[in-house]
Amino acid sequence: MSDLRAYAWSEAHKPDPASAPVRVYVWELPVRVSHWFIFLPIVVLSFTGYYMHNPFIVARSSTQFLMATMRFIHLVSGSVFIAAFILRMYWFFVGNHWSSWRSFWPIRRRQWRGMGNMVAYYSFLKKDLVHHVGHNALAAVTYLLMFTLMLIEIITGLTLYTHVRGPWLLAPLFSWIPRVIDIQNLRLIHFCIMFSFFAFVIHHVYSAVLVSWEERNGLIESIFTGYKFVPRDELEEESSWQGK
Amino acid sequence: MFPSNESFVGALQKKGVNRRRFIKFCAAMTATLALPPRYVAQVASALEKAKKPVLVWLQFQDCAGNSESILRSSHPSVLEVVLDLLSWEYHEIIMAGAGHQAEAALERVVKEEKGKYLAVVEGAIPLADDGVYCTVSGKTALDIARRVCSNAAATIAAGACAWDGGLVAAAPNPTGAVGISEAVPEAKVINLGGCPQNPANTAAVLVHYLTFGELPAVDQYNRPLFAYGRIIHDQCERRAHYDAGRYVQEWGDEGHRRGYCLYKMGCKGPQATYNCPSVRWNDGTSWPVKSGHGCIACASHRFWDTRSPFYDRLPSVPGFGADVTAGQIGMGVTAAVAGATIVHGIASAVRDRMRTPPGASTPPATRGPAEKN
Ligand code: SF4
Repeated sequence: MSDLRAYAWSEAHKPDPASAPVRVYVWELPVRVSHWFIFLPIVVLSFTGYYMHNPFIVARSSTQFLMATMRFIHLVSGSVFIAAFILRMYWFFVGNHWSSWRSFWPIRRRQWRGMGNMVAYYSFLKKDLVHHVGHNALAAVTYLLMFTLMLIEIITGLTLYTHVRGPWLLAPLFSWIPRVIDIQNLRLIHFCIMFSFFAFVIHHVYSAVLVSWEERNGLIESIFTGYKFVPRDELEEESSWQGK
Repeated sequence: MFPSNESFVGALQKKGVNRRRFIKFCAAMTATLALPPRYVAQVASALEKAKKPVLVWLQFQDCAGNSESILRSSHPSVLEVVLDLLSWEYHEIIMAGAGHQAEAALERVVKEEKGKYLAVVEGAIPLADDGVYCTVSGKTALDIARRVCSNAAATIAAGACAWDGGLVAAAPNPTGAVGISEAVPEAKVINLGGCPQNPANTAAVLVHYLTFGELPAVDQYNRPLFAYGRIIHDQCERRAHYDAGRYVQEWGDEGHRRGYCLYKMGCKGPQATYNCPSVRWNDGTSWPVKSGHGCIACASHRFWDTRSPFYDRLPSVPGFGADVTAGQIGMGVTAAVAGATIVHGIASAVRDRMRTPPGASTPPATRGPAEKN
């Protein structure tokens, strides 16, 4: 335990028995699974999707089936992505405190304060990081935005799919959309949101490394194992306002 | 012009169109309508019995391209049959009468054939400034369209302009042009989009009307499904090259000469529905993609605005110049975020070091579990 304690220290946290780190199971299995099955398909979808926008590899022989293969992979990984997305949305409602939808919406004053703290930290106005067991408030709002963008990506994607496919089970849900937003603009939206994922992944990995480093809380490892190391007083403090 | 009570077969015989050519025409129309071959007999017998319906052709803000399209179909059977199928009482380009005489003929049709005649509209109708931007014999296009189309059994909007305003209504649309169904909502309209509309489709709609007594099934834009129900890309003869990944990279290159897919040249075939690849033009000779140019989706809704730029895959991003593509903007944003992250990372590392109290033996960076105690 004392080893762990040492590891969890940062200069912001002076050694204090009350802040002895505790191992907390933060990210449940569906959260971790959906995290990776959202990330990996996005990598594949971005590559194949970009190819569909601009076929940069030109086939040299007539026996190749490049574009058709790319489109096939795009559709399959899109389905995996949608499944993972649905799983995560479901877990919003049945998951633990840190994965619940409640911890994402900035509905409490505390969350707004937390966001201000994070902005101040990122813009070097504040020296020390305020620690969080789950997501910090700013990250939570960013994820909410990303989930929204993913939803738009899914809707535009299925609309484009319906446009090519014609009638299918869910076609009535999407076939009206091109009347409101032209199909070319839907493609533009579908394409541009991809870059917001690129930007997000860069920032996400960076801030995870940064926070993991500053807090020494095993944040990076937590998305594989589910466990984070949190000082006891923080955990107690957080559980005191949980569910209120 | 033929007297409107003359039978269709009689008129054809007078013109010297024999039965064989007539049946060939019926077969072509049945195929265009996507009906099974057994309907040929029904189409033929219906046309034989049909009384020639009266037709008036109105032209507003247009280039006469749709009239040209139908008049120039050089295939004698289609031309003659289509022309002879109907009693054309009014068509500004081809009628012999002029001035008051012509206007009187139109007025007579509206009065005497009320609810029975067919109207074809070509061109958009301007609504701005009380419609002064298009007047015929002192009346605005809107007034004429209201009077003629609301009394017609059905109105055919021929071409993009009559459907949704077309080129005339493209941004910034200075004359406030709209299509016929927006100008005269009470009219029963079938839209034949396309720039111009394909005469085979116009003929097929008329044949359907004469055979079954009603207009063909339509889609969400009131366009006949037989002509606008399928994506061009799915019927294109270059599709195999698309799937294989073989594309024209620039005009006149090796791939272009070999007939590769025009996707990278901005072909809008994947975003357009039309039967252009199967009915084709100039009596089935060719169509744009076959002749080496990408589809511009001329039969799509408001295609001048929605499908341009015609030589790029995606629309231009609003607020950026026409030369900047969405891809370049996206790459730029991604690179900017990456750059900012690197700078921020360096700054954070510096901050982390500065936070180390002076005289501390080890900076936090290297302090691990092993160093405790
Ligand atoms: S030329 Fe156009 S319509 Fe034909 S396969 Fe290529 S993209 Fe599709």
